Amino acid sequence: MPNPKSLLEDKPGKRVLLLGNEAIARGVLEAGIGVVTTYPGTPASEIGDTISAIAREAGIYMEYSVNEIVAVEVAGGAANCGVRALAAMKHVGLNVASDALITLAYVGVRGGMVVVTADDPECYSSQNEQDSRLYALLSNLPCLEPSNPQEAKDMTIYAAEISEKLELPVLLRTTTRVSHTRAPVVLGKISKPNLKGEFIRDPKHLVMVPANSRPRHDVLLQKVERAKETSEASPYNNVARRGKDKEYGVISSSSAYNYAVEALDLLELDFDVLKLGMTHPLPEKMIGQFLMEHDKVIVIEELEPYLELHVKATAKDLGLKTEIYGKIGHQYFLRSGELSPRKVLEGLLKITGKKPPISFESLDKKYNEAVKDLPLRPPILCAGCPHRASFYIIRKVAGEKAIYPTDIGCYALGFAPPLNVGDILICMGAGLGTAQGISKTTGAPTIAIIGDSTFFHAGVSRLLNAVYNKHRIVVAVLDNFTTAMTGHQPHPGTGVTGMQTATERIAIEKVAEGCGVKLVKVVNPFNFKEAEKALKEALAFPETSLVVFRAPCALLLLREKRQMGVEVIPFRVNEKCTNCLACIKLLGCPALALTEAKTVAINENLCVGCGLCAYVCPYKAIEQSKGSGGKTGENI
Amino acid sequence: MKIFNMVLAGVGGQGILLAAEILGTAAVKEGFDVRVSEVHGMAQRGGAVVSMVRIGEKVFSPLILEGEADVILGFEPIETLRNAKYASEKTVIMVGDERIPPPVLTLKGESYPKMDVILERLKVFSEKIVTIEASKLAYEAGSPMVQNVVMLGALAAAGKTPIKKENFMEALRELLPAKYLNVNVKAFELGYQYIKSLSINF
Repeated sequence: MPNPKSLLEDKPGKRVLLLGNEAIARGVLEAGIGVVTTYPGTPASEIGDTISAIAREAGIYMEYSVNEIVAVEVAGGAANCGVRALAAMKHVGLNVASDALITLAYVGVRGGMVVVTADDPECYSSQNEQDSRLYALLSNLPCLEPSNPQEAKDMTIYAAEISEKLELPVLLRTTTRVSHTRAPVVLGKISKPNLKGEFIRDPKHLVMVPANSRPRHDVLLQKVERAKETSEASPYNNVARRGKDKEYGVISSSSAYNYAVEALDLLELDFDVLKLGMTHPLPEKMIGQFLMEHDKVIVIEELEPYLELHVKATAKDLGLKTEIYGKIGHQYFLRSGELSPRKVLEGLLKITGKKPPISFESLDKKYNEAVKDLPLRPPILCAGCPHRASFYIIRKVAGEKAIYPTDIGCYALGFAPPLNVGDILICMGAGLGTAQGISKTTGAPTIAIIGDSTFFHAGVSRLLNAVYNKHRIVVAVLDNFTTAMTGHQPHPGTGVTGMQTATERIAIEKVAEGCGVKLVKVVNPFNFKEAEKALKEALAFPETSLVVFRAPCALLLLREKRQMGVEVIPFRVNEKCTNCLACIKLLGCPALALTEAKTVAINENLCVGCGLCAYVCPYKAIEQSKGSGGKTGENI
Repeated sequence: MKIFNMVLAGVGGQGILLAAEILGTAAVKEGFDVRVSEVHGMAQRGGAVVSMVRIGEKVFSPLILEGEADVILGFEPIETLRNAKYASEKTVIMVGDERIPPPVLTLKGESYPKMDVILERLKVFSEKIVTIEASKLAYEAGSPMVQNVVMLGALAAAGKTPIKKENFMEALRELLPAKYLNVNVKAFELGYQYIKSLSINF
C-alpha cells in the first residue's frame, strides 16, 4: 500500500494489493466501526498502525491501549453503548485479555464488537504458538477464520454484523500467513462510523455479580444455539470444491485450506473440499452431511486438532463409520509448527498412497549437504542499539553470579552470546515477577530486565508487589522511547496517542517513585561510567531498586537523522588494532566483522556511530572517521 | 498459465519486504492474482528474511513448495544458499554481492565464506546463476540503501516474471516517497542494464 491514506478512497470495486492486516483495517472502514483499540504485537500490529494513520480523517477513535485487557475493556465499553468496536492483538495478547473477554461474553454487546487475535504458528515473533480457536470454546464466542486478505476484510464486516445480531463479541482469528500475506483485495463501500454512544442502565444484564451471572450463563448458551444457525447458513462455510472422487473428502480452514487445494491439484486428487470460515460454533449439520457423503474424510488444519475433534464427535453422534484422518493417532499432520505446502502434500501422500511429484528425500540430502556448515543467522540487536550498551554495562557490573530474568521485546535478544543477559523469559511482565521468587529463594543478586512499553503493559503491578513485599531485586528498565519490536508504536511514556496527537508523557521514574521504590536512577547507557555507578548503587541497595537506562531506539534515531540531513559518521579501525577481538567478543555488534585476512573491520553501511566498540577497545584502536577508505559489505 | 514462483532472500534491513511489495503491486497492475508472504517483528532484527511471491491467474498459497521456484532473488550470498531447497535445475538464481557476515560467525573468529564456495554449492541446484554487483550499482545510483531496487531491475531484465517493465516502474512510483523516487528509478535502470549487458539467455 503506497500510503495508509489511500485506504480512505471510497472506490468500491477497485482492486488493490493489501496486507491481510491492512485489509482488516479497510474492513473497519467498510463496517462503520467507530472505536479501534490495540496493543501492538506481531503478527497483528499493522491493524492498529494503519487505523492510527487514518483515524482522524476517518472519524474513528483509535488508541494504543496500555495492554490487551484494557483494549478489550475500552472496546467492550463502547460496544455496550451501541458503538461498533474492534480490539486487535496477537494470540498471547488474548491471554491477557481473556479475563475481560470471557465474562464480557455473559454481558454481551449492543454494537458489533470484533476481537482480532493473530496467531503465530512457528513462533516467528512469539514465545509460544497457541491456537486461539480454543478461546472460542472456552468463552462461547463465535469465531471466524479468514484464509486470505480478501476474506480478512470481508469477515471483519461480517463479524461486526453477526456480533450485533447475536449480541456477542466475535473473534476474528488470523495467522501469520493471513495477516502477513499481501494479496489483491476488491474494495467495498465505506460506511460512516457512528461514534455517539448511549449507555442504558441495566444492572441485571451488565453487573456480573453471582445472582446475575448465573442466568446470563444460560443466556449465553442460548446465544450459542442461535449462532449455530448462523454458522449453518454462513456464506463462509461451504463445499468450496466439488470433485469427482467421492471416496475422500477434505475439511479445512484458514491458511491450511490454501495449501490443501494446491496440494490436491498437484497430486491430481479430485476431492470435495469443505471450507470452514466460521469455526465456532461449527455447522454440525453441514459437517454431518459431508461425513455421510464420504467414506474417508481428511481434516487439514494448523496447530491443534480443533476441527478434527469436532468432526470426530459429530461422526460419533451420528453413528457414522467414516474414517477420519488428521493429527490425532497417526499424526498425518503435526500439531506443532507452521503448516507448509510440503507438509500438507506429505500428509496427503501418506493417507492416499500417491507417489510424490518430486523426490523430497534426494532434495533434502542435496540441501543438507550444501548447508551443513552454513552459519545460522538468528535475529540480533541492531548496530547502535542502546540495549547492547545497557547489557554490556549490566554484565560488566553484576557479572556471572547475578541472575537476569528478562521480558518480551527486542531486548529479549540480550540472552544470546556474547551479551548473555537473559536467564528466564516467559511472558509480558514475567521477568519482574519471576525475579522476586528467584531472589527470595537464591539470595543471588537479581536484575529484572524490562522494556519501557512492557513496563507500562505489565510491569507496574509486579513492581508494587516487589516493593510491598520487600523483594531485593534491581529492575532495569530499558527505555528507548518506543515499542520498538513491533514497529515503533507509542506508549504512555512517549507523549503521543493513537490519534497521533500530543499528550502528557508519563515518566517511568515517577511511576516507580509512586509505587514506593526508594532508589530510582535514570541514566544514559552511552554515558558508560555514570551508568555503571548507578547500577552499582542499585545492587547495593537492600530493597527493590530501579534503574532506567534511557536512550532512543537506534532505528528511530537513524531515521530522524536521515530526515533532518544530519550526517551519520561511522567508526573505523585504525593501525593500533592488535586483533585482540575484544570488541567482537564483548559486543557482537552486526557492524563488526572479520575480513578474509581475519582483521577486524567495521561495515560502514551498518555502523551508526554509537561508539560502544571504541569504549570497550583496550588499545584505542577504534575512532570516528569521515571520508573514503572504509569497509562495506562487498569489500569485507 | 502456470503460477510464477519466486523467493526473495536476504537479511533484515536489506529492503526485501519493500522489493516484494513492489513486485506484488506490479503483478496487480498486470491484472494477475498474487500472493506475497512476509515475516515481521523479531525475525526482522538483522536475522534471515525470506519473502515469497507467487503470481498467476489464481493463487491460493502464499508459500512455495520446495523445488518449485522459478527465480531466487538473493540479496545476500549466504541467505541465497540457505534457500536453495526451493530451486530445481530450471531455477534462475540471481545473487547480490553484498556480504553481511552473520555475527555468530564473527564471534567464532571466522571470516565470511569465499564467494566461489557459495556459488559452487548453488550450482548443485541450478547452473543458471548470475551475480549482480548490487552494492556498486547502488552507490552509482546514489545510495547504498537502494540495492533492493537494483536487484528488482535485474529481475525485470531477466525476463522471467510475467510483468512488463512499465508496470515495475508504475509500482515504484506508487510505493516510493517522491523524494527518493529518482535514486530508485536510477537504481532500477542500472540493475536492468547490468543484466541486459550480460546478454545471458536464461
